[in-house]
Amino acid sequence: MNKHVNTITAETADLSRRSFLVGTAATGLVLGYAGVPGIGEALAAPSNFEPSVWYAIAPDGLVTVTCGKADMGQHIASTMAQIVCEELGAKWSDMRVALASNDPKFNDPVLGAQITGGSWSTMMNFDAMSRAGAAGRTALTEGAAAAMGVPASELVVRDSVISHPKSKKQMSFADVVKSGKATKTFTPDELKAIKLKTPDQYTMIGVSVPQLDIPSKTNGTAKYGIDVMLPGMVYGAVVTPPVRFGATVKSVDDSAAKKVPGFIKAVTLDDKTGTTTGWVVAVASTYANAKKAAAALKIAYDGGPNAKVSSESLLDEAKRLQKLEDSGQFFVKDGDPNAAFGSAAKVLEAEYTTSINIHAPMEPMNATAEFKGDILHIYSGNQFATRSGAIAAGAAGIDPKFVVMHQMWLGGGFGRRLDADMMVPAVQAAKAIGKPVKVIYTRENDMTMDFSRPLTYQKVKAGVDGDGKLVALSHDVVSAWPTARWGIPDFLTPSVDKKGPLDSFTVNGADFFYTVPNHYVRAIKNELAHNATPSGQLRSVAPGWTFWAVESMIDEIAAATGKDPAQFRIALLDGKGKNDGGAQRLRNTLLAAMGLSGYGTKQLPKGEGMGVACVSSQERATASWTACVAHVAVAPSGEVTVKKLTVATDVGTQVHPDNIRAQVEGAALWGLSLAMYEKATLKDGGIEQTNFDSYTPLRMSQMPEVAIAVIANGEKATGVGEPAVTVIAPAIGNAIFNASGARIRALPITAEAVKAGMKA
Amino acid sequence: MPTLTINGRSLSVDAANDTPLLWAIREQLQMTGTKFGCGAGLCGACTVHVNGEAVRSCQTMVGDVAGKKITTIEGLSAKGDHPLQKAWIAEQVPQCGYCQSGQIMQAASLLGKNANPTKEEVVAHMDGNLCRCMTYSRIQKAIMRAATEMRTASVSGNERRPT
Repeated sequence: MNKHVNTITAETADLSRRSFLVGTAATGLVLGYAGVPGIGEALAAPSNFEPSVWYAIAPDGLVTVTCGKADMGQHIASTMAQIVCEELGAKWSDMRVALASNDPKFNDPVLGAQITGGSWSTMMNFDAMSRAGAAGRTALTEGAAAAMGVPASELVVRDSVISHPKSKKQMSFADVVKSGKATKTFTPDELKAIKLKTPDQYTMIGVSVPQLDIPSKTNGTAKYGIDVMLPGMVYGAVVTPPVRFGATVKSVDDSAAKKVPGFIKAVTLDDKTGTTTGWVVAVASTYANAKKAAAALKIAYDGGPNAKVSSESLLDEAKRLQKLEDSGQFFVKDGDPNAAFGSAAKVLEAEYTTSINIHAPMEPMNATAEFKGDILHIYSGNQFATRSGAIAAGAAGIDPKFVVMHQMWLGGGFGRRLDADMMVPAVQAAKAIGKPVKVIYTRENDMTMDFSRPLTYQKVKAGVDGDGKLVALSHDVVSAWPTARWGIPDFLTPSVDKKGPLDSFTVNGADFFYTVPNHYVRAIKNELAHNATPSGQLRSVAPGWTFWAVESMIDEIAAATGKDPAQFRIALLDGKGKNDGGAQRLRNTLLAAMGLSGYGTKQLPKGEGMGVACVSSQERATASWTACVAHVAVAPSGEVTVKKLTVATDVGTQVHPDNIRAQVEGAALWGLSLAMYEKATLKDGGIEQTNFDSYTPLRMSQMPEVAIAVIANGEKATGVGEPAVTVIAPAIGNAIFNASGARIRALPITAEAVKAGMKA
Repeated sequence: MPTLTINGRSLSVDAANDTPLLWAIREQLQMTGTKFGCGAGLCGACTVHVNGEAVRSCQTMVGDVAGKKITTIEGLSAKGDHPLQKAWIAEQVPQCGYCQSGQIMQAASLLGKNANPTKEEVVAHMDGNLCRCMTYSRIQKAIMRAATEMRTASVSGNERRPT
């Protein structure tokens, strides 16, 4: 695994702050945060029992868990509450959730920053939330023991009630909090020493409790960033240039905009954070007026260095870079594939590509900024408060410690809200006019200014020995480097050939669990793409393209050597050496998917076929073992109908079985959408697709049958939001090959490409 | 100032007649349950009812709905207990939830006319509503569950009626 972030700011270095805070000491520490007035909102009322930064118990017994993770529909807030609830012994109906501010005390206990992604949240917070819950239970129990005058060891905690079976005495959590007797404090070492429940003792983990956020999402009361209303607030509509990145504003003529009722000002952004280029924000009394004013602005641009770049030129550049022997850095360097190719019985080569893809969450990007005294308040649903707060500060020209981020529910994230571009116009407009400003992107702004999934080009070369065994694989991955754009060295990974850090979030997955003695993976940065199409992390990130190449190529090798593609994979998953453990779990997952789908059990009609793929997404060290069998029908026209997707996934431990199914299904359908329906193109430096008529995610009528098998074998809980995205495209591609003989190597898959690949 | 009849109340809004109904509802009336998604009638996030018909409020101008009966997600039921809302909770439909007001309003207009829809009728009626979290199968199940409840409720209602 990558090192990720351990210390971004000085505040995050103090481990004790996020470990366990009690009573007045906690209050003191919390108030100590950067000396920022206003952050006290994060504090519970003094009479509450706050056994940890992660939750507080009010005198009425309600337990409010503060979630430091962005909740974008994965119900992570509810999941954190569930983990706390298990050890605390509270009643589920007493649990509530709140969303954390950017106070570093809410930083991820493993990552040391506030960032939500990588399907990391459950696996990295399970222990901390469990310990926080257990500590609270211990403190409440000791308090109750003192109040009842009985030994704590004789007390039983269940459903928010602490009872003493011998004397039949009992106290509710509310009673103990009101009594003021819950005072025990924990040092980090004491926390670490707490003995947690074993899985056989769980009563909450593994139960599909009702998600706490769902009722508010059925009646219009859930508040997203776009719903923020502040007194005196006005609205900003952005005008973005025709070039995605690198344009500058030459002049702004606002004479027509001035005739729009309610128009206040057009502000040309001066973005020293380098997040935006050539943007203007039109500010007016209402959003409708702001949009009218924006449309009335006459802006002259200098298109800048990327004004002629296109998808074709990005691909040409990628191919040029791949051919250079010394480009890029090595992510994997096992054995010597080049030597092995020389003695191989058969050598296969193939190129795989994926298009630019757009996040397009349903809630367009937005942010509200308000200056109050020295403090900049930002209201926005965001996945990376640690970095976004710094960008908002940079846009304002102030120190990041003076920024308070108010987290909102996210109307979809998918990695898009790791970025902070939407905050820049809000901050600079609010600063320019001295009022709170809410900036809302139009869908057109949102699509053309996405931090997109980069266009990728991959070249894979494979060598097979005389027995049909895969002995060598070299895999070059050329793309923009989304994570390098962050400028945070700890998120990069040292290259194995010591040529400096590489962005492993472009090659993760290529370090698979197949045993291949000679294996190279080279990460090559496409600088042109990096500059012209600033890329982002799109749900599943690198494994979304690396497994497209790997799992297609494995199939190609199986076909070339006359082997069943599933059996060929099983043979490669022998669990030797560094692959021990993971390989066997992946093999079992593949077998489960095969079994559930009826793979190989019956003759399919002509024109139909099944394809398999199996993946260790997201990262080698954070893998959820996932396999798919896709069943497709291919018409003579090349038109593909996905009849069924069968997905099996080994998640170790299930916190919430129903949510896992929801996430895996959503991820699988994302995978299908990216494989077949979503394509963005760059022309003259700009993204050509502007709305849901030209960029077309999956709709209800395009949904196939989806069958899901979740394997929970008692290992540690792994992530479920992303892995299933990555297994779908190769499974479909392989199924198309099986059905029609057409080998597809470019995403998204088109009927034209399938028809062209079919043997007459 | 135009007056809107919305969720059973008459409210005047400080908005020009050519203002999209969506923004009048959200900003002037501060009913934020109705969402902005695309501004072009392509995603359904802004769906409300005008005289019982599902319309895209981003494509409906304030001046066009004077005197008509507008219903938003806030007014679909008194306590958030419309059979569809209950079904949405029972099936645990929402993920991010952003599109779900529009999905529920779109579905309500179907069940208002056809309490026994086929799966094909549900898909045809709902296909204009995007869900980027891809909760489509649960949306379908929830609509079928609500339809069943509405049919059962009306039947049992008839049975209980004194004669």
